[in-house]
Amino acid sequence: MATQKRAINGTHHAFDPRSVIGQAEQVTASAHGIARTADEVWEGASEQLRSLDQASVELESTAASLAETATLAESILAATEETLSGANEMAASIEGLASNINGLTSFIGKTATAIDQSSASIQSVSATAAEMATAAEQVTTSITQMSSSVRAVSGDTESLAASVEQTSASLIEMAASIRSVSGNSDDLAAASEQTASSINEMAASIEEVGAMSENLATIIEQNSASIEEMARSIQSVAASGRNIADAATTAAASATQTEKSIESVAGLASRADALARRVSSEAQEGGAAVERSIQGIGRLRTAMSQSSTVMKEMGKRTSDITSIVATINMIAERTNLLSLNASIEAARAGDAGRGFAVVAEEIRNLADRSAKATADIGAIIKGLQDVAQEAITASAEGLRVADDSNAIAETGAAGLRKILGGVNETVEIVGQIARATDEQRQAGKAVTHAVASTVEQSRLVAEATGQQSSAAASIVQGTAQMRKVAQEVTKAVTEQGRASRDIMKAAQSSSRLAADVRKATAEQARTTDQLTQMSETVRKGAASTARAVSEQAVASEQITKAASHLNRQIGLVSRAMIEQTATAKALANGIEGIRTQSDQAARAAAEQARTMKEVAKASEATAREVRSVAKGNQQHSKSAARIVSQVADIRRITQRNVEGVSRTRGGTADLIEQARALTGLMKTPQGRSPNGRNGR
Amino acid sequence: MTTDNYILFTVAGTSYALPSQDVAHVEMVDQVTRVPNAPAFVDGVVFSRGQVVPAINMRARFGFERAALDVSSRLLVVQSKGRSVGLLVDSCREFMNVPQSSIHPPGEALSGLSAQYVDGMASVGNRLIVVLSLERLLGSTEHAVATRPREQASGEGHGYTETRN
Repeated sequence: MATQKRAINGTHHAFDPRSVIGQAEQVTASAHGIARTADEVWEGASEQLRSLDQASVELESTAASLAETATLAESILAATEETLSGANEMAASIEGLASNINGLTSFIGKTATAIDQSSASIQSVSATAAEMATAAEQVTTSITQMSSSVRAVSGDTESLAASVEQTSASLIEMAASIRSVSGNSDDLAAASEQTASSINEMAASIEEVGAMSENLATIIEQNSASIEEMARSIQSVAASGRNIADAATTAAASATQTEKSIESVAGLASRADALARRVSSEAQEGGAAVERSIQGIGRLRTAMSQSSTVMKEMGKRTSDITSIVATINMIAERTNLLSLNASIEAARAGDAGRGFAVVAEEIRNLADRSAKATADIGAIIKGLQDVAQEAITASAEGLRVADDSNAIAETGAAGLRKILGGVNETVEIVGQIARATDEQRQAGKAVTHAVASTVEQSRLVAEATGQQSSAAASIVQGTAQMRKVAQEVTKAVTEQGRASRDIMKAAQSSSRLAADVRKATAEQARTTDQLTQMSETVRKGAASTARAVSEQAVASEQITKAASHLNRQIGLVSRAMIEQTATAKALANGIEGIRTQSDQAARAAAEQARTMKEVAKASEATAREVRSVAKGNQQHSKSAARIVSQVADIRRITQRNVEGVSRTRGGTADLIEQARALTGLMKTPQGRSPNGRNGR
Repeated sequence: MTTDNYILFTVAGTSYALPSQDVAHVEMVDQVTRVPNAPAFVDGVVFSRGQVVPAINMRARFGFERAALDVSSRLLVVQSKGRSVGLLVDSCREFMNVPQSSIHPPGEALSGLSAQYVDGMASVGNRLIVVLSLERLLGSTEHAVATRPREQASGEGHGYTETRN
C-alpha cells in the first residue's frame, strides 16, 4: 500500500505523460486478462450451477424413493403387526386351552431371546445414532472452524479496508472480493468433499439397507414356510382333536357298558353269595351223612366177621357129613360086592339058584342106587363146601373192603371238613366281592361322569383348534402379502442404490469442477495481487468485500446454529435410543418373570406351541428387521436432507461466487474504461488534470 | 356049555368082561403083600379065603400107569386049570347077561399081542365092552412069567402052574 501511495506521489511529483500512457496501456492489458479470467470463472460457475441443479433433482427423486421405501416399510410394519396380532390372537387362544398347552415356557424363553436380539439391534441402532452424533459434531466443528476462519478473514479484510482507505476502492474491493471468492472456493471444495463423503456414506447405508431388505425377504420366506408348516400342524391337531372327541365318545359308551357290566357282576356276586351259603349247609349235611356211613360200615364189618365165623362152622359140619356119607358109600360098595358074589354063586348053582340071582340083582340095584345117592350127596357137599369157602373168602374180602371203605370214608370226611372250611372261606370272599362290587359300581358311575366331562372338554378343544386353524389361514394370507411387499422393497432399494451411484458420479464431477474453480480463482488472485500493487482505487471493492465477508460470517453463524440444532436433535435421538434400550431391557426382565411363572404350564400341544413360537419369533424378527429398515430409512432421509441442505449451501456459495465474478467483471470494465479515458487524456496535449483520476 | 353071564370090570376107563364061571369071587382089597423077585406086573400076594393068591395089576399088565388103591378097587379071584389068580382092577360092580349075538370078533385092526386074549367086542346100549379070554390072558401071562431068568429050570409056559402045583 505504501508503495502504491509512493507511486501516486511519484506520479504527482514527476509526471511523465508517456510513462503514464504506457502504464495505462499495461493496466488495460491486465484488465483484459482479468476479464478473460472472470469469463472463465463465470462459465465454470454456471456449469457448476447446472450440475448442482441436476444433483438437486436426483436428490429429490432419491428423497421420494426413500419416502416410498418408508411407506413400504410402514406397510410391512403394519402387515407384521397384523401377523403379530394374529399370532397374539392365536397365543390367546392357546392360553384359552389353559394349562394343557405345553411348551409355553420355552416359547417365552425364545421370545426373551428374540427380545434380547431386538435389544441388541436397538443398541446397534443407538450406536449408529451415537456415531451419527459424532459425525454431526465433526460437521459442527468444521463449520465452526469455517466460521472462525471467516471471521478471521473478516478481520483481515477490515484491517485491509482500513489500510487501503486511501487507495483505489474498486481495486481493494475487487481484491477482497477475489479473496473471498478464493475462500469461498476453498469452502466449496471442502463442502463438495463433505458432500461426496456424505453421499458415499449414504450409498453405503443404502447398500446396507439392500442387504437388510434381502435378509428380510429371506426371513419372510422362512416365516411363511414356518407359518404354512404351522397351519398344517394345526390342521393335524384339529384332526387329532376330532379323533380325541370320537375316542372320548367311544370311551363314554364303554364306561356306560362297564357300569352295566358291574351291575350284572354285582347281581352275580350276590347270587354267588347265596349259592355259597347253600353249598356250606349242604356240605355240613354231607359231612353228617359221611359220619353215618362210617358207622354203617363199622356195623357191616362186624356182621361180615360174624358171617365168616358161621361159614367156618358150617364147613366143619359139612366135613362131618362127608365122613358119614363115606361110611354110607362104603356100606353101599360092600352091599354091591355081596350081591355080585351072590349072583356068581347063583349062576354057579344053575336053575336052583335062579330065584336067588333075582334077589341078588335087586340087592345090587339098591346098593347101586345108594352109591349113586351118596355120590350125589358127596357132590352136593362138595359144592356146599366150595360155596362156604367162597363165602369165607368173600367175607374176608368184604372185611378188607369194609376196612378200605372206612379209611376212604374217613378221608372223605376229612375232605368234606376241608371243603366245609373252603366253602366258609368262599362265603366270606364272596361277601367281600359283593361289597367290592358295590364300591366298583359307585366308582363306575364316577368314571362315567368323568368320561362325559372329558367328552365335553375334547369337544371344546376341537372347537378351539378349529378357530386356530382359521386364524392360521389368515396369517398365511398376511404372510403372502408381506412377501409381496418385501419383494417391492427390495426392488425399490435396488433403484435407490442405482440413484445413489448417479449422485456419487454427480458429486465427483462437482468436486472436479470445484477444483477447477479453485485453480482459476487462484490464478485470479495472483492477477489481483498485481492489480493491487498498481492501484488504490480498489478501496471501495475492499469495503464491499468486507460487507460480503460479514454476510458470510452471518451465514456461517446460521450454519453453526443449524449444525448445533442438528446436534441437539441427534442427542435427543440418542437419548430416545438409550431409553428404548432400557425399555427393551425392562421388557426382557418382564419376559424373564413371565417365563419363570410359565414354568408350571403343562406340556400338551408341544408341536403346536413350537410352531407358534417359531411364528412369533419369525414375526419378531420380521418386525425387528422392518424397524431396522425404518431406522435406516430415517437415517437415509436425514442424510438426504443434510445433502440437500449442503447442496443448497454450495449453490448459495456458488451463486455468491457468480455475483462476485460479475462485480469483478464490472470493476474490470470500469478499470478498462478509466484506463482508456486516462490514455485519451494523456494523448490530449499536456493533459488537463495533473493529478489524474486514478483515485477515482 | 358056556352061559351068557359075564362079570364086568374097568381098567383105566375101559370096560372089560370075563365069563362068570371063570370068576370064583370078588373082594375088596386092603393091601397087597409085596414078594421078592416078582414079575413087573405082579404087585405081590393077597390072602383070600384061606389061600394065598398072586395079585396081577391089570393096569401094569395092559401097559397103563399104576394107580393107588381106593374104595372101588377090586380083586377078581379067577379059577384057571385048578389054580387061583387075583386080578387087581379099578372097579368091578356088574353081573350082566350078554347074548352071544352081540359079541363081534375083534377084526384085523386088533392084531398082535392084544388080539391074543381078546375074544371080541360087545356093544351093550351105548357102551363098548372088551370081552376077554381068561385062558389066553393067563397063558400069555404064564409065558411072560416063564421068560423070567429065575424060573428057567421049571420049563416054559408052565411056571405058574407048576408053582401052584
